[in-house]
Amino acid sequence: MAGVCDTMTVLLQMKDIHKVYPNGTAANRGVDLEVHEGEIHALVGENGAGKSTLMKILFGLEAPTSGTILYKGEPVRFKGPRDAIRHGLGMVHQHFMLVPSLTVSENIVLGDEPRKGWFGLFRDRDKEWKDIAELIRKFGLKLDPHAVVDTLSVGQKQRVEILKVLYRGAKLIILDEPTAVLTPQETDELFHSIKSLVAQGYTIIFITHKLREVMEISDRITVLRAGRTVRTMLTKDTTKEEISRLMVGRDVLLRVEKQERQPGDVVLSLRHVSATDDKGVPALKDVSFDVRGGEVFGIAGVEGNGQTELVEVITGLRKATGGEVRYLNENLVGKSIGEIRSLNIGHIPEDRQTTGACLTSTIEENLVLDIYRLPAYKRGPFLNRKKLKEFARTMMKTYDVRAASEEQLAGSLSGGNLQKVVIAREMAKNPKLLIASQPTRGVDIGAIEFIHREIIKKRDEGTAVLLVSAELSEIMSLSDRIGVLYNGELVAVLDNTDELTEQEIGYYMLGIKKAEKEATAG
Amino acid sequence: MNQKRAVFLDVAGIVGSAVLAIVCGFVIILLVSDQPFQAISSFLAGPLSNAFHLSTVINKAIPLVFTGLALAVVFQANVFSMGAEGQLYVGGFAGALAALYVTGIPVWLHVPLILLCAIAGGVLFGAIAGVLKARWDANEVVTTLMLNYVAIIMTSYLVNNVFKDPASGGYARMAFFDRDLLLPKLSGTFPVHAGIFLAVAAVILVYVLLYKTKIGYELRLVGKNDKFARYGGILTKRVVVVSVMISGGLAGLAGIVELLGVHGTYKDNFSVGLGFDGIIIALLARNHPIGVLLSALFYAYLQVGGQIMQAESDVSRELAIIIQVLLVLFVSAQAVFGYLKQRAILRQRKPSGEGKVNADVV
Repeated sequence: MAGVCDTMTVLLQMKDIHKVYPNGTAANRGVDLEVHEGEIHALVGENGAGKSTLMKILFGLEAPTSGTILYKGEPVRFKGPRDAIRHGLGMVHQHFMLVPSLTVSENIVLGDEPRKGWFGLFRDRDKEWKDIAELIRKFGLKLDPHAVVDTLSVGQKQRVEILKVLYRGAKLIILDEPTAVLTPQETDELFHSIKSLVAQGYTIIFITHKLREVMEISDRITVLRAGRTVRTMLTKDTTKEEISRLMVGRDVLLRVEKQERQPGDVVLSLRHVSATDDKGVPALKDVSFDVRGGEVFGIAGVEGNGQTELVEVITGLRKATGGEVRYLNENLVGKSIGEIRSLNIGHIPEDRQTTGACLTSTIEENLVLDIYRLPAYKRGPFLNRKKLKEFARTMMKTYDVRAASEEQLAGSLSGGNLQKVVIAREMAKNPKLLIASQPTRGVDIGAIEFIHREIIKKRDEGTAVLLVSAELSEIMSLSDRIGVLYNGELVAVLDNTDELTEQEIGYYMLGIKKAEKEATAG
Repeated sequence: MNQKRAVFLDVAGIVGSAVLAIVCGFVIILLVSDQPFQAISSFLAGPLSNAFHLSTVINKAIPLVFTGLALAVVFQANVFSMGAEGQLYVGGFAGALAALYVTGIPVWLHVPLILLCAIAGGVLFGAIAGVLKARWDANEVVTTLMLNYVAIIMTSYLVNNVFKDPASGGYARMAFFDRDLLLPKLSGTFPVHAGIFLAVAAVILVYVLLYKTKIGYELRLVGKNDKFARYGGILTKRVVVVSVMISGGLAGLAGIVELLGVHGTYKDNFSVGLGFDGIIIALLARNHPIGVLLSALFYAYLQVGGQIMQAESDVSRELAIIIQVLLVLFVSAQAVFGYLKQRAILRQRKPSGEGKVNADVV
C-alpha cells in the first residue's frame, strides 16, 4: 500500500467538520479526528458534545455543513450507510437494529443474502450457514447461528450486531456506547472480542462517556467538547481526571461523598406488586420491598427487567395487576397520577426528553407543572404569571440552570441543564419520597456531580429515595441498600457494604444467582 | 433559542411568504393580462380605496376570525379537528331556531340567548368527535370530516323540509329574523356590522384563556407533549374533549354571527367553506389568537381585492385563490423557517454561552 508512514498508517481523517442543523442547532463546530489503522480509538465527550453527529456524518447519514473527510488518504463523502459499508465502514448502534423474530444467521445476512440459481433467484441457505458458522468461529464470538434473536440476551444481541458488520466486510468498526446496556461480565466479554478484532487488523472507534472503560481499552483518545475537538492523546499518557477535565472544561469530583445513613420510618412499602408491560406480558412479578426515610434504595438490573414498570406503577402511570403500594398511610394503587403527584412524591422520569420535560415549552412552563394548580399562584380565575415567573427564576438560580432567561425554550438546553430543570421541579415539592429513574443518563459529568449531591442532600434531610439506574457504578456509589431486578422479580436485596462488588451484583443481574428470599415473601 | 426570537422568525417567515405569494400572483397577472398594472392596482389598493370596500373586507373577516380561533384552539391541543364547518352549521341552526321560535322576551335578553344557543349547538356537536377520540381513540380527522356531512346534510334537510319559510319561494331558507335581533351596521357609509365587536372580544377571550388560565396551560401542554402532561397529572383526555368543545362553541358563534350580521335568516349552504378557511387562517396565525385576527383580515383583503380586480380589469378573481393557495404552500413549507434559523445561527458563528450548543443525541 502506498502512503505508509513511519509507524502508523492513518486510516481516517476528519478535518474541521461543521454541522448546523436546520433547526439551528450547531452540533459540530470544528471537529478534527484522526484514526490510525489497527488502533482502538476512544471518542469521548459529554452528551451534546457532538459525538453522535460526527459519526452520522462519517457514516453518510448526515451531510456536513463544511469540512473534509479523508479515508485511506482519499477524500470521500459517503452518500449513505450503504456507501459507507461498501468502503469498509461498519457501525454498531447503541440501540440494536435486529429483527427479533428472525434467527441469528438470518439477521446477519439480511439484505446481503447469498444467492444461487438463475439470476440469483433463490437463497443459498447452505452457503449462508457455512459462511456464518465460519464467521462465528473466526472471531470467537459464542453464538448459535440458528437461535431466534428474540431469545438472546442483550450481550448476545450485540454480538449479532458486530457479526453483521463483519459479514459486510467492515475494516473500521464504530461502536456507539456499546456498554450502556451490558452487565459487568458482558462488558468484559465485549472487551475481549474487541481486543481480538484489533489483533486481526481491524480498527475500532469506541464512543463512550465511561472513563474507566476508556482507560481500560483504548489506545488513543479524542475528547470533544461543545462540538469541537479539545485534544487527541495517547491513553497511556493521561488520567481519568485529565479526561474529565477536558470533557467538562473544569475540575470534577468523581467520587460521591456521603455520611452514614440515618434510616427513619418506612415511607414506601410494596407488597406482592405485579404488573404487565405494554404488550400485556408480565413485567413485574410479586415484588415486595420497603424504603425508609433517609436512605437510598437502589434498583440495579439490566434494562428492560421491570424497572420502568416498577416506577410507573408507583407513580400511577401504569396500573398494577396485583399487590399493594403503600406510601406513608395510603395505598397508591388505584389513585390517579395527579393525586399521587400531589402527595409530595417527586419523580424524575427515565425519559427526560418526552416524559420529564416539554421541549417546545419554555423553562418556566416546565417548572410550574405542579404549582400552577395551587391557589397561591392564582389571581381570581387567572394564573398569577408574575408569581409563576418569580418561582421559575428562583428555581433556576437555586439549581444552577444556565439559560438566558426563563422564557428560553427547554429544548434548547443541554442535557444536563434540562435535567436540572426536572430536578428543580421535583425537589421544589420537598418530597418525602423521591423516585429517581436514570437521573444522570445522557447528562454531562459536571451535572452528574450536581445531581448526585442533590440526591444525597435529600436523603440526609430524611427523604426516602428510590434510585433506578442502569449504571451500576451510580447505584453502588449512591445507594445504602440495593435491590436487583431480574426478569421482573426482585432477586436480591443487599446491604451496600464495602465487601459488595460489582461482580457480585452482576451475577444477580444475569439471573445466575438468586437470594433465598422465599421466607420473607410468605 | 429564545422564545421571542422564535416568534420573531415565525412572523418574519409568514410575512415573507405572504409577500412572495403576492409577487407570484403578479407574475401571473403580467403573463395573462393586457392591462396588468390596472389589475395589480385594483387588487392591492381596491379593498382600501373607500369605506364601502373596507367594510366589506371587515365583514368578510368577521366569521373567519371565529372559525380561525376555533381551529387555533384545537390545533394548540394537537387535535386536528376539521369539524368547524359542521359545527358552524349546527350552531347557526340552533341560534336561528332560538331567534325564530323563542318569543315574548326583550331583545337584550333574546340576543344573548340566541348566541348561547349557537354556542351550545357547536359545543355539543364538537363534543361528539372529542368523546369519540378520548374514549375510543377514533382519529379526529376522519370523525370530524364525516360529522361535517352529517351536520351539513341534516341542517339542509331540516331547512328544506321542516323549517322552510312558506313565503320563501324557491329559496331554501327559514323565515326572516325580527329586525331588532340583527347585528346593527356601524353606519350607512361604513356598513360594518356589530359582529366585529364580538370577534375582537372573542380574540381577547381566547388569548386570555390560552395564556392566562389553568385550562389554557393544560391545553397547550397536552398539545405540545401529552406524555409530559400526563406525567404531570393532567387528565389529558378530558383536556382534549374540552378543547374540541371550546372550538365547537367558537365555530357555532361564527355561524350565528354570519346569519345575524349578513343574511338575516338561516339560508341553506350559507357558509361556503368558512370552517375550512378557518384552517388556513389558523395555520397562517400559527394558532395564535392575535395572529388569527390579522390573518383573517388579510385573507378577506385578498378575497375582496380579487373581486374588485375582476370588476375593474380583465383578470378573474380566481387569481386571489391562487395567491391564497400559494401562501398556504409557502407557510406550510417548514423548510423555509429551518433555513432562516440556520442562516441566523451561521451568522452568529461566535460561540455564545451554553444552551446554544445542543447537539442531538440519539
